[in-house]
Amino acid sequence: MLIAVENLTKTYKTYERGSTFRETLASLLVRKTKYVEALKGISFNIGKGELVGFLGPNGAGKSTTLKILTGILHPSAGTANIMGYTPWKHRKKYVAKIGAVFGQKSQLLWDIPPIDAFYLNKAIYGIPERQFHQTLDEMVELLNVSELIRKPTRQLSLGERMKCEFIMAMLHRPEIVFLDEPTIGLDVVAKDKIREFILEMNRNGVTFILTTHDLGDVEHLARRIILINHGELVFDDSLEALRRFSGAKKIITLTTHEPLPDIELPGITVTKKTSDYNVELELDLAVLELNQFINIISQTSLISDLLVQEPEIETVIKDLYQQEKRSKDE
Amino acid sequence: MVRALRIHLQGIKTAVATRMAYRGDFFISILIMLAMDFVIPLATVFIYQTGVTLPGWSMYEILLLQGVFLLVRGVAFPFFFGMVWNTIERVENGTFDLLLIKPCSTLRMVIVTGFDSEDLGKLLGGILLTSIALSQLPPPSMLQWVQFGILFIMALITMFGYGMILAGLGIVWIGNFRVYDIFFALTNFAMYPSAIFSKAIQTLILTIVPIAILGSIPASVLLDRVDWRVSLLATGSSLVFLLVSFWFWNWILKKYTSAGG
Repeated sequence: MLIAVENLTKTYKTYERGSTFRETLASLLVRKTKYVEALKGISFNIGKGELVGFLGPNGAGKSTTLKILTGILHPSAGTANIMGYTPWKHRKKYVAKIGAVFGQKSQLLWDIPPIDAFYLNKAIYGIPERQFHQTLDEMVELLNVSELIRKPTRQLSLGERMKCEFIMAMLHRPEIVFLDEPTIGLDVVAKDKIREFILEMNRNGVTFILTTHDLGDVEHLARRIILINHGELVFDDSLEALRRFSGAKKIITLTTHEPLPDIELPGITVTKKTSDYNVELELDLAVLELNQFINIISQTSLISDLLVQEPEIETVIKDLYQQEKRSKDE
Repeated sequence: MVRALRIHLQGIKTAVATRMAYRGDFFISILIMLAMDFVIPLATVFIYQTGVTLPGWSMYEILLLQGVFLLVRGVAFPFFFGMVWNTIERVENGTFDLLLIKPCSTLRMVIVTGFDSEDLGKLLGGILLTSIALSQLPPPSMLQWVQFGILFIMALITMFGYGMILAGLGIVWIGNFRVYDIFFALTNFAMYPSAIFSKAIQTLILTIVPIAILGSIPASVLLDRVDWRVSLLATGSSLVFLLVSFWFWNWILKKYTSAGG
């Protein structure tokens, strides 16, 4: 295994302060300490060449996990063995073999061209001259940025900057790359280019761990999903398995020639009614088979169009979070 | 060692290139820096012209103290003291993490990315003021220059120690640039002869809070106005201070919690 994480736990010490002026003044003298369990013992393994989507709602513990795995933070307990290193113990040696792209934190330098920042990285990572130029040329061609890397960073668009961020993270040829919201704020064209680049690098054997709220990224890139919520691992399997998790549910878009009556049947949830003739619903095949559903509808209305789709990954994840919340409440 | 030098040189080149993006601002900043650091020496000149003096010290002797102090800061501020504002700023805006994912010591990274070319104005000012003062004083012997060289290095070591302590405070005392004010207020003591202070303050600024080494002690060596035992004590204090600062920096670095994701 390239990455083996066992019972990773992180507890933060924070201070509570009230919102009123009196409470603010009081907090200068006495502060109420609060311990937050950001990670409650998560464990997982990742093999070489995998492209894993590491998902969870805000505050789930994704960033904390990523920071521990990149050697930025020390965990409160647990172990992590990545390429034979413990990130927080062998930080310097370990980070020489990993790369990271943070969608909201730039590694480029605002006032000077990206090429200058690349040269700084060359010195920091001790990249040999030949390897540096070879990798740079390769990346520049793949991302089509030969002109851009010599323009001041502040003159580049967000998409162009992100391409350069990727070059910055890949110049030392890392074995593992951590991506934290790499396509945030990008337009469709830029997203596609970045996704293509990630897939190409992954084909070359680079392992990627992707944290994102953009489920388009997940669907296009990740073959495996690790889902965490409230610091606990709630799902770890393939994207297909995640889809199956929602049970045998289908999304049906139905159009009829006659006005549709109100559909109130077990296994059917109407999600959107566009008109009397058009409706979108969720069908639970475990309760009602598709042919039974068609028969029932055909008895009252003549079907003119029927579209059967898999539920969107977003819906599946939302269901998963809600199910986890319900089981916790019980 | 070669790699470390390469990293520093590249850091300096990058920082200068960054400042050159706004050339006008760069030169004006250097001039402003130079002018600001000449305020106290100018005040000294004006005071001496009115006939008021520090007993036993000529105007040029005082200017030499202030020149050496400026020279120490002129080397420290551009080349490594930028670690302080760099750390405070990065911890506040969450980009300190980016330094931790580089295969170098965090201390080196905050220094490399904190090179402050504007402060080269201090170095210019220091050279200018020291030269002016020395031109009006008896020339020091070779032995005095050697002693001065050693004490000057100790002064830089002490500045490095202060840099680590202030940068470390920036990690736990988030976004608080007041550490600079505290430091500047304290270091003003280095611009005057230690002998003018009470015995208790003299001991304090020579040992526990080594400030005298930042200006008055090395300059006094050039003037042959300091006992060798005091120089030795100042050297020892600087080395102990450096060790304590290193320990403090490493201890506080473990307390870094990073900004929310």
